[in-house]
Amino acid sequence: MERTLSARSNPGFLRPFILLAAVALMATVAAPSVRADDASTDPPAEADGNRIFAVHVLPLMKQKCFACHGNTPDDLKGELDLTSREALLEGGESGEPTVVPGKPDAGLLLSAIRWEDYEMPPKENDRLTDEQIEWFEKWVAAGAPWPNAETIARLQQQAWASDTSGGMVVRTSGGLSDEWTHRRYDPTDVWAFLPVPSQEEIAVPEGADHPIDAFLNARIAEAGLEPAGTADPVTLIRRATYDLIGLPPTPEETDAFVAAWQQDADRAWLELIDRLLASPHYGERWAQHWLDVVRYADTSGFSNDWERSNAWRYRDYVIRSFNADKPYNRFIMEQVAGDELDPDDPEMLVAVGFLRMGPWEHTPMNPNKESRQQYLDDVVNGIGQTFLSTAMRCAKCHDHKFDPLPTRDYYRLYAALATTQLAERPAPFLPEENRNGFDEGRQHVERLLAFAKSEQDKLYAKREAAAKKWYADHGRPDDYVPYEVRLKQRNVEKPPRFVGLSTEEQGTLKVREQDVRIWTRRLERFQPLAQSVYYGGDLYQKSIRLRMPDPNKGWEMKKAQAMPETAIYAGGSVFAPAEPVTPGVLSGLGIPVSTEGASAGDPYALPQTMEGRRLALARWIADEKNPLTTRSIANRIWHYHFGRGIAANPNNFGATGKKPTHPELLDWLANEFVARGWSIKQMHRLIMTSQAYRRSTAHPDPDALAEKDPTQDLLAAFRPRRLTAEELRDSMLFLTGELQSEMGGLPARPEMNMEVALAPRMIQFSLAPAWQPSRTPARRNRRSIYAYRVRGLPDPLMNVFNQPGSDESCEMRDAPSVTPQVFTLMNSDVITKRSVAMAVRLEEEAESPAEQIARGYRLITGKPLDASLQQTLVTHYEKMTGYHREHTPERPVYPTKVTRSLVEEFSGDPFEYEEMLDMYEDYVPDVHASDVSPETRALADVCLLLLNSNAFMYVY
Amino acid sequence: MTQSIPRRNFLYGLGASLGSLAFSDLLSAEQKPSQGPLAPKQPHHPAKAKAVIMLFMEGGPSHIDTFDPKPTLDDLHLKEFVNKDDKISGMTNGGRFYVRSPFKFRQAGNAGIPMNEHFVHMSDPDVADELCVYRGCQAESVNHPTALYHMNTGNKFGGDPAIGSWVTYGLGSENQNLPGYVVMTELAAPQGGSGNWSNGFLPAYYQGTRLRAEGSPILDLKPPAWKTREHQRANLDVLQEINRQHLAEHPQHDDLLARMENYELAFRMQMQVPEIIDLKNEPQHVQEMYGLDDKETAPFGRQCLMARRLVEQGVRFVQIFSGGWDSHDFIERAHQKRIYSVDKPIAALIKDLKARGMLDETLVVWTGEFGRTPDNNVRGGDAAIGRDHNADAMNMFFAGGGVKRGTIVGATDEIGAKAVEVVHPIRDVHVSLLHLLGLDDNKLTYFHGGRFKQLSQFGGEIIPEIMA
Repeated sequence: MERTLSARSNPGFLRPFILLAAVALMATVAAPSVRADDASTDPPAEADGNRIFAVHVLPLMKQKCFACHGNTPDDLKGELDLTSREALLEGGESGEPTVVPGKPDAGLLLSAIRWEDYEMPPKENDRLTDEQIEWFEKWVAAGAPWPNAETIARLQQQAWASDTSGGMVVRTSGGLSDEWTHRRYDPTDVWAFLPVPSQEEIAVPEGADHPIDAFLNARIAEAGLEPAGTADPVTLIRRATYDLIGLPPTPEETDAFVAAWQQDADRAWLELIDRLLASPHYGERWAQHWLDVVRYADTSGFSNDWERSNAWRYRDYVIRSFNADKPYNRFIMEQVAGDELDPDDPEMLVAVGFLRMGPWEHTPMNPNKESRQQYLDDVVNGIGQTFLSTAMRCAKCHDHKFDPLPTRDYYRLYAALATTQLAERPAPFLPEENRNGFDEGRQHVERLLAFAKSEQDKLYAKREAAAKKWYADHGRPDDYVPYEVRLKQRNVEKPPRFVGLSTEEQGTLKVREQDVRIWTRRLERFQPLAQSVYYGGDLYQKSIRLRMPDPNKGWEMKKAQAMPETAIYAGGSVFAPAEPVTPGVLSGLGIPVSTEGASAGDPYALPQTMEGRRLALARWIADEKNPLTTRSIANRIWHYHFGRGIAANPNNFGATGKKPTHPELLDWLANEFVARGWSIKQMHRLIMTSQAYRRSTAHPDPDALAEKDPTQDLLAAFRPRRLTAEELRDSMLFLTGELQSEMGGLPARPEMNMEVALAPRMIQFSLAPAWQPSRTPARRNRRSIYAYRVRGLPDPLMNVFNQPGSDESCEMRDAPSVTPQVFTLMNSDVITKRSVAMAVRLEEEAESPAEQIARGYRLITGKPLDASLQQTLVTHYEKMTGYHREHTPERPVYPTKVTRSLVEEFSGDPFEYEEMLDMYEDYVPDVHASDVSPETRALADVCLLLLNSNAFMYVY
Repeated sequence: MTQSIPRRNFLYGLGASLGSLAFSDLLSAEQKPSQGPLAPKQPHHPAKAKAVIMLFMEGGPSHIDTFDPKPTLDDLHLKEFVNKDDKISGMTNGGRFYVRSPFKFRQAGNAGIPMNEHFVHMSDPDVADELCVYRGCQAESVNHPTALYHMNTGNKFGGDPAIGSWVTYGLGSENQNLPGYVVMTELAAPQGGSGNWSNGFLPAYYQGTRLRAEGSPILDLKPPAWKTREHQRANLDVLQEINRQHLAEHPQHDDLLARMENYELAFRMQMQVPEIIDLKNEPQHVQEMYGLDDKETAPFGRQCLMARRLVEQGVRFVQIFSGGWDSHDFIERAHQKRIYSVDKPIAALIKDLKARGMLDETLVVWTGEFGRTPDNNVRGGDAAIGRDHNADAMNMFFAGGGVKRGTIVGATDEIGAKAVEVVHPIRDVHVSLLHLLGLDDNKLTYFHGGRFKQLSQFGGEIIPEIMA
């Protein structure tokens, strides 16, 4: 950990591997032949050594070593200076030679960079590659020459001018150093930045009808494996149904499909896919994937976690877009620049809600510029990850270490967004937007607001009465002025700020004032507003109230017309603007901007006007030649179907992301996607009609599979997956018959674990309002995508099943098994209610307990129940009936208010206040265990177990 | 998906022939502490501390009014303070004036560590001489949630794993029946909520488990009251029967056994957790030592005592949040009350750990998210005696596992505005804590989003001055 050289605990462990790797690499390089283990017999000419040093070794040393061993002479780690040949030969505090010219096997430098005795550079991220180590070895073998500065410069110029020195050059707008600008890339590291070859240039292997199978089978055969057979139709309909609509098939649907399959399997399969794609639930399922990537939430995060009152309109826009199979290029344009595309179309103002999705707040606590930078950094990174599968954040402080992404490009993109300003914009509701529940919702909020106001006003009245009395007592009754005026008075004797209020009342007042802000904001949910953007200068509005500049306020309009300045921020600091930059796109792709306004000499420049920057950027992203865009979406679609992308980091196609396992297939899909009109539904059909998608998860030769494809990249068998949190909750509600099919509209508030729902949660000045579930089952038992997402209050049910937080973009869901999942799924109120509701349904649909249990098993797992397990379950049911006759559940009592306790920050005194829980006043509960008979509760136990079973939890 | 769960297909073959042998027996026989993501792991280098108890004073305790007295402020009291800084926020603009500390200080222990006089129990030499007070740390943010995230996760904007998650990821846990990383808060979660103990991009095994102050200590730890433990067992046995049949149909699916095993672990935890957190098992004098008999000290005292019991049971990282340190005005009353509420419990914790021979291997950390300013702004026209947030200066202390005893490291300037000696950013504190636990921040990495991520974000330095 220390920057000083420290001895490794297990020296030599890596050595054989690295040497072997180095030798293997060298065999393939046509450079002067040097064998690391026997360099002295054939040293490269000194001239070669000079060149290797100037072009490879010195830049690496500057990048990797000098920070600790060079830049600051009084602070050399391990007393080792690496900035001259003399210093190098002298060595550091260990006394051992750093380099022995001509002997790459000796000297501490080489063993350190190989991570043998020492481990240098000490960080995993900085560690040299085998190829880089090899350059050092060659240089030392050549006698470790260190030419003078002129020679170094000349050799570097020569190398940059020629294209023969290995690796490929990627032309960009230029890095901060010439070395970065001219550096060489391994083509496999910049695969995603290279153009997608045309479909004609991609050779589809022989041997399969479906091109996808052709690509996959070729690799499977190469590995000496057989693909698994086709899964059975019961498995397949469950797989496809969960995949496309996120819900299980009904037994009736399964029976119909199995019958059709037996007639004509291919036709049945196609019809199934078409039926599912036509279902409105398709949009609900696939929009969820998109919302994972863009980090949807209904609140802003950070200290206030303010409402984003109308964010739900963006969520519904995404669902509508998927259901309508909106061409993806259009989908990009609308989300990045809808407001510029058509400011008169409310839908477009809603669509740019994409640019409002990240966690962000600006309060009086934040310096203006920092908040603004925080927003723009977030959006630059968000656009990079979402559409371009590129980790932009890495280039915020320096040229990208691995990808052809100069920090200049980062700030050119930043500049493209510098005129993007946030506002809750007026946007009339569309006919297709669901406005159910508006009246009841508004009344609920108005009531809470009125309560908060009246409590606040009581305290105001008390304070002002005391103030008047104070003036009277001081013989100045006429000097009384209202609180707001008193606040600003200085050097005048006046009543204390909270005159007449006890510390408890002071604390309560702050709470009520904050409540007034909270409920006022939530009222905006019912107004035709959109969480949107516009173009203009920086107003630095606080996030509690973001509005378009007011034409009646001259100073605001003036600010809105002031062009923001844009520059490279040195080291990422907004307070250190360096070289000015103008708007532009990523130059390393070689895709010019096609819009007018781009300057002739700079094909990657975007307009510098206030308006039109984003529109031009959006066009560039949605350009069919943009290789990142088309590969990104093709890979994401693949990822959701197969559980892993062809490139396994859908948000990062850079050198540090996982490389594509089937690059030709990915390119073929990207082309096909464009050729099919950027249609996502067409891609589903294409992918799902492959044999690969229909394969069984069981492989005929698992041992061979484990040996030859241990990471299961080849898709010789289908990969099983666990249900996501949303699928789990939605399925349970669906199976019990409680799920509402209504689409869109105001956020639903499902029942949440009561302890969490009522637990106090700190926000600025106060506690956040309690989570109150929606009053009726119709409003709360809706699909999880409609659930109110509060950044500071994850729903424990969803959270424990790995619903991602909404701060970071989620490229793929995790699904580890952890014990809290067991507590939730065996013990929680939510699961208990579902098990009872399930039992009630089964009793309605089947006569005998045995039939009810068989029906339950079929519904939940999709499979018929075999006789022996049925016997076990029936026996258990009977035993449990006896148990439940002796154990009666208590009827739940719903609280209509909760007493809050808080420490007053000024005084440190605790104080209490009451919060109203109005939803529970005439609450319509779900069916509860206390409502049903012991027999039903026994059946509910069986249902509980089925809902906990692996057969339910996994999709095969 | 579950990288550390080994393939155990052989169990399926056994399953069919084992007849009536309970599935739970099969699993417990098979389960070895060396397996699973939370199994104890070897540190990178010999560790000084095996466990951490982090006492987090949320809101930003004033260094000037706790362990870093500034007599110079007595002369400047109420004189106007002028700030020229382009990083202006509402925190730093407006009329401002200097504020002296309303507190008296005492020199505690042989080391003479200055302490606010209200640290009555902490100033006991048996406690004071264990402390390493560090005055050199600088935060970056003056906003509560960002500063909290920074101190807890190394990333101001949240979303990254908490330090406790990193530590359990690096070292595992000694007790497989308890969570490796336990968090206790007041009834209210701190600003930023569970983001302060999130596993971030680390697998969910390393998430902080919140032991709740009221109600069920772990969410849904127990079934509804009308379901007994015997009932639960009977249910579980049938569930495993259902799952066993399913396993027979999917012998190649590795995740199934891990999930089945979790049901057994959960069943054991259901039993053990309530036992461990039941403080009635502690003798009366211990309960009194922690201040459980005083309603002002009882809440934090209970958590400190619980922390000791958890660490004793092999829990790796315990974090306790104490709120209310955000004293903008009336700091005299506010800080006095906060100090009173933690003084006795912390002193008891340190003494108790020492008496049990645990202090050498347990690192106690006391910190907030930032310090406070030597001045205050004119709030509402009143010159109220309090302090604003200060990212440039703060104090924290360490005790136990591998830190210097009875010492002060680093210093702030004359008025406590800024750290000036042994100055280090938060990341260096993180790197140092990991170092004491035998972990190398540069090696404790997790590949995510295209790079090896680490707690310090981009690397940091240890603070040698605090090491014993």
